[in-house]
Amino acid sequence: MSRRKRAEAEEIIERADASLLEIIDHVLNKGVMLQGEVILGVAGVDLVYLRLNALLCAADRLLPARGRR
Amino acid sequence: MIGLYAIALGAPPELTGARGEPLRVLRCGELELVHGEVPPPLSAEALRAHEAAVRRIAEGALACLPARFGCCAEDEAALSQLVESRQVELAEALRLVRGREQMTLRVHGARGAPPATGGPGTRYLEQRRRAMTLPELDPLRAALANLVRVERVEGHADVASVYHLIDRGAAAAYQRTVESIRLDGLRIAISGPWPAWSFAPEMEQ
Repeated sequence: MSRRKRAEAEEIIERADASLLEIIDHVLNKGVMLQGEVILGVAGVDLVYLRLNALLCAADRLLPARGRR
Repeated sequence: MIGLYAIALGAPPELTGARGEPLRVLRCGELELVHGEVPPPLSAEALRAHEAAVRRIAEGALACLPARFGCCAEDEAALSQLVESRQVELAEALRLVRGREQMTLRVHGARGAPPATGGPGTRYLEQRRRAMTLPELDPLRAALANLVRVERVEGHADVASVYHLIDRGAAAAYQRTVESIRLDGLRIAISGPWPAWSFAPEMEQ
């Protein structure tokens, strides 16, 4: 996990609204870990949460494939 | 490099991907692998674009298993290799989601007091069982019995997620039903309809 990728992921969370959080959770829900979950309050909606680890893992998957084989 | 968007059955023609590129369909047995260009760098816009592209596939196809953002392969040969050994499992998953869409519930405040009886082991197992099944939702389940075809629950420390497959077009009735049920101590947020994100097998290599 590079620092740049982590910063990008955190920036997305910073700017997220409720519908984006749902998108993140559905579109990136993979390699889910039980720890590292965050619950976010956005515009009065505190029920939406996402798995930070899953987001960060997904960012890593975008690195060139040969490094992951 | 190519990026996978979905594994589908009866994918519609003239689909476009997250970058606006035309999508291609690679047949692998009865599976249709819908793919396009490599996804753009991770950003909120990229995630929305991927979700929208998958949604277009799901809306036009008979059945659609979404691929997560960032699922890539070197070329078409590598892509079919990725799914070849899992054709049976994927075909089964396609049958499950065919003609259906997903609703998602975030349930806050579930998991009441731990059971008072039994030894520590029994109490632990009972608590785990409750976290996996959320018996608090049974009144809601009864009300939704005619609408929900498949349920999947993910219990977590503070918020549980409940994923329901419903028949296409039933989302409004589903939403009305959920909103009409009061559950003591629980708060529930609904979203959907979604493509069947939570019913697609993981495609990690």
